[in-house]
Amino acid sequence: MKVELTVNGESRLTEVEPRKSLLDCLRDNFNLNGAHAGCEHGVCGACTVLVDGQPVRSCLMFAVQADGYAITTIEGLTPAPGELSVIQDAFCETHGMQCGYCTPAMVLTAHALLQRNAAPTREEIVESISGNICRCTGYGQIVEAIALAADRLSRANAPQGGAVR
Amino acid sequence: MTVQTKPPAPASATDDWAFAKFGIGQPVPRTEDPVLVQGQGRYTDDLQLPGQAHAVVVRSTHAHGVIRGIDTAAARAMPGVLGIYTAADLAAYGTLKCGVPLKNRDGSEMKKPLRPALAGDKVRFVGDPVAIVVAETLLQAKDAAEAVGVTIDPLPAVTLASAAAKPGAPQLFEDVPGNVALDYHYGDSEKVAAAFAQAAHVTKLSMRNTRLIVAAMEPRSAVGVYDKAREHWTLHSASQGVFGLKGQLVDILKAPPEKVRILTGHVGGSFGMKATVYPEYVGILHASRMLGRPVKWTDDRSGSFVSDHHGRDHEVTGELALDKDGHFLAVRLTSFANMGAFLATVGPLAGTLNAVKNVASVYRTPLLEVSAKCMFTNTTHVSAYRGAGRPEGNYYMERLIDAAATEMGLDRLALRRKNHIRPSQIPYSASSGMTYDSGDFPAIFKEAIDKADIKGFAARKRDSRKRGKLRGLGIGCYLEVTAPPNKEMGGIRFEPNGDVTIITGTLDYGQGHAAPFAQVLSAQLGIPFHRIRLLQGDSDELIAGGGTGGSRSITASGAAIVEASAKVIEQGKAIASHVLEASASDIEFDKGRFVIAGTDRAIGIMELAEKIRGGLQLPAGEPQSLDVKHASESVPSAFPNGCHVAEVEIDPDTGVVEVVTYSSVNDFGNLINPLLVEGQVHGGVLQGIGQALMENVCYDSDGQILSGSFMDYAMPRAHHAPPIGFVSHPVPAKTNPLGTKGCGEAGCAGALTSVMNAIVDALSVYGIRHIDMPASPARVWTAIQAAKQGAA
Repeated sequence: MKVELTVNGESRLTEVEPRKSLLDCLRDNFNLNGAHAGCEHGVCGACTVLVDGQPVRSCLMFAVQADGYAITTIEGLTPAPGELSVIQDAFCETHGMQCGYCTPAMVLTAHALLQRNAAPTREEIVESISGNICRCTGYGQIVEAIALAADRLSRANAPQGGAVR
Repeated sequence: MTVQTKPPAPASATDDWAFAKFGIGQPVPRTEDPVLVQGQGRYTDDLQLPGQAHAVVVRSTHAHGVIRGIDTAAARAMPGVLGIYTAADLAAYGTLKCGVPLKNRDGSEMKKPLRPALAGDKVRFVGDPVAIVVAETLLQAKDAAEAVGVTIDPLPAVTLASAAAKPGAPQLFEDVPGNVALDYHYGDSEKVAAAFAQAAHVTKLSMRNTRLIVAAMEPRSAVGVYDKAREHWTLHSASQGVFGLKGQLVDILKAPPEKVRILTGHVGGSFGMKATVYPEYVGILHASRMLGRPVKWTDDRSGSFVSDHHGRDHEVTGELALDKDGHFLAVRLTSFANMGAFLATVGPLAGTLNAVKNVASVYRTPLLEVSAKCMFTNTTHVSAYRGAGRPEGNYYMERLIDAAATEMGLDRLALRRKNHIRPSQIPYSASSGMTYDSGDFPAIFKEAIDKADIKGFAARKRDSRKRGKLRGLGIGCYLEVTAPPNKEMGGIRFEPNGDVTIITGTLDYGQGHAAPFAQVLSAQLGIPFHRIRLLQGDSDELIAGGGTGGSRSITASGAAIVEASAKVIEQGKAIASHVLEASASDIEFDKGRFVIAGTDRAIGIMELAEKIRGGLQLPAGEPQSLDVKHASESVPSAFPNGCHVAEVEIDPDTGVVEVVTYSSVNDFGNLINPLLVEGQVHGGVLQGIGQALMENVCYDSDGQILSGSFMDYAMPRAHHAPPIGFVSHPVPAKTNPLGTKGCGEAGCAGALTSVMNAIVDALSVYGIRHIDMPASPARVWTAIQAAKQGAA
């Protein structure tokens, strides 16, 4: 059946079987390979995308269910070609990734966190990524990356009266 | 941040001019990260080749049984189905092989049953592949796979290695009596027995080293492409090095080496698991040959739990003999090692040779004996998992030491100090047959004890008790024998666009080799860091390659790059002599420039490369380029070591264990890139904590896996990770040019020992002497209740 999905701000019409997951649709139909299949049962978080700004397991959502929502994938997070977001940059700086397979989902999850909480505590950062499994890093440098990004974003926002704790 | 890194000792005389920012020892961020962080990594499943068909594997749902029939008729008639292949279709190919050359204690050969890619007569574990279904789309292939009817007459199954050794146990192979693949022995039994007989004290512990799921986040995936016109095979697949994988595949396909190519892109973690040929690869390559189209297969996680090899799974009785003063006299391990239903490529290694090499650790242990029975069982095959015998060996030793200290009423710190090998005794010939070239174990121990503030532990313990928690402190010293010897390639190629490519046969599956290898090359040749690329995943480019494993990459590839750089300099001098119009013997290489000795006339290496690209005419018989294809001889093993200290809090009402503090002092020799080394330690430590606290593969009595998803198999998450203190205390290795030792597996070794020792320390108030991994809430709570009842 036909669905019209809004992905990274762009409306896209495509044909899917009703049983096709949003994850498979993003990867197969739109060639957006940044969302990764890690477990297909909603436990590892590697397939996380943002649906109306909230982290969602794209392996547990059918593509047809996503009709009408704003979907953001990792490909939609980069501010401009050749540029990284503050969060992406922080992940690179702190060595917040190793194999990189869980990384797009971690970055999107962190993005959603910092959208709703500009100055999270360490515990809040840990809680926010508790649904995302990383087998490589031991998480320490991921937490450090998110804290660094939060710090930089709050500084950048400070002159405009942004939330600084 | 808890990071402290000492500046490394100079790696070589060239250090003083290495570019400050990208030099050896600098925490240079990885060059691949901007790609990965944007989701632009190219993992195998991201490949979409034109005309690609999709494969799904039909697996046995029985742990043991005789195949009576495979009915594919209904499945063949389903929409989109292109082909279904069973064992009979693959009969012409070779079998998967075990490459471990060990022998039985009586000198006879070990039993290595042949493993065809698909099971034909019998199935031997849940997940044993019996058919491959190929269809136009993945969903069509999945539908058809469900329609394949496999009739199996079930047989009794056995999943525990010690149970498989008992009389009357189910037999997996007709020609392997008693299920014993290998009856391994190391050491002088008589001398060891005499030492135990004379000992003032003998400590004995039964220890189970848990079976683990490797659980790389990227499931295995492969695309097979057969080109009929060229009679040529290409396999796109994750790996830990394409050279070795190609060798295995050439053997199975019975094809000339030049007709087989392996291509590996980004790899989403491996930890030992993706190193070898798996049955699915043979199946899809065959299907591609039959169909004339590329065929892709990607595992789902449920498949991964049974198809990826598992790790660990040893049942060990460890014994330590001590004299009256606490000097170690001998250590003896007697064990069963579970091989699963087949021998993986290096399956028997962890429980045998690697246990021998690593159990002696940093201690003077004059005598050593290891007896290990490697057993077939109706389970997924078992092979290398982060450490592959290294963390296991260290774990047995450290648990024995703590138990001995308790039994003898000795201080556990003093007991370790008493037995540490002293710097003055190095080079030290260990009872494992290894010769330690370097190390300062007492100094590292002292630093670790200081960093962990052990003096303040009593106060912290009181504070925990006020909050109703038991607190324990554990020490885990380790020494690992890394860098299993193998040739390695050091290729250096000056590209048309001015870049310089390093070509080597190790393979980064998350470690981040590109930056540190470039740091090494930059330091050797003065090539700007940002012009250096790494090529690792194309077998057509390699003339050698030992792959990544055993913490060998920086040591093996590092040495290969250093040696290749010397050849570049040699060739460069000859070429520069024509440009500078001087004799080659008068030219020196200094700080990236070829200089006529005693003059200011010089040409930089990048400038010289540009002149060659521009068509510099060179006489015949002289080098025509700066390019080098070098294969280094084996670099000797190295001996990274250190001491980790963990503190845990246990809630006695629930049995929940939390690792509350963690610090480590490590000797990895010279660090090329401390940022990445710290990442390796963090990851290794959390994998160790995972094994210590929660990870465990369970089977029922029929051989069904009960922990077959991330819902049932606990994985460490962010809240399980304590802040991990990392200190580098380098004592450079003397056996390789960069003085490195390897760091990839050490975290596991330090964490298993320190965390489990801390848990036993906390539980010692109940008189508990030992608890097996994983120290899950149920197990800890049960142990506490049993101890209370025993005391009542």
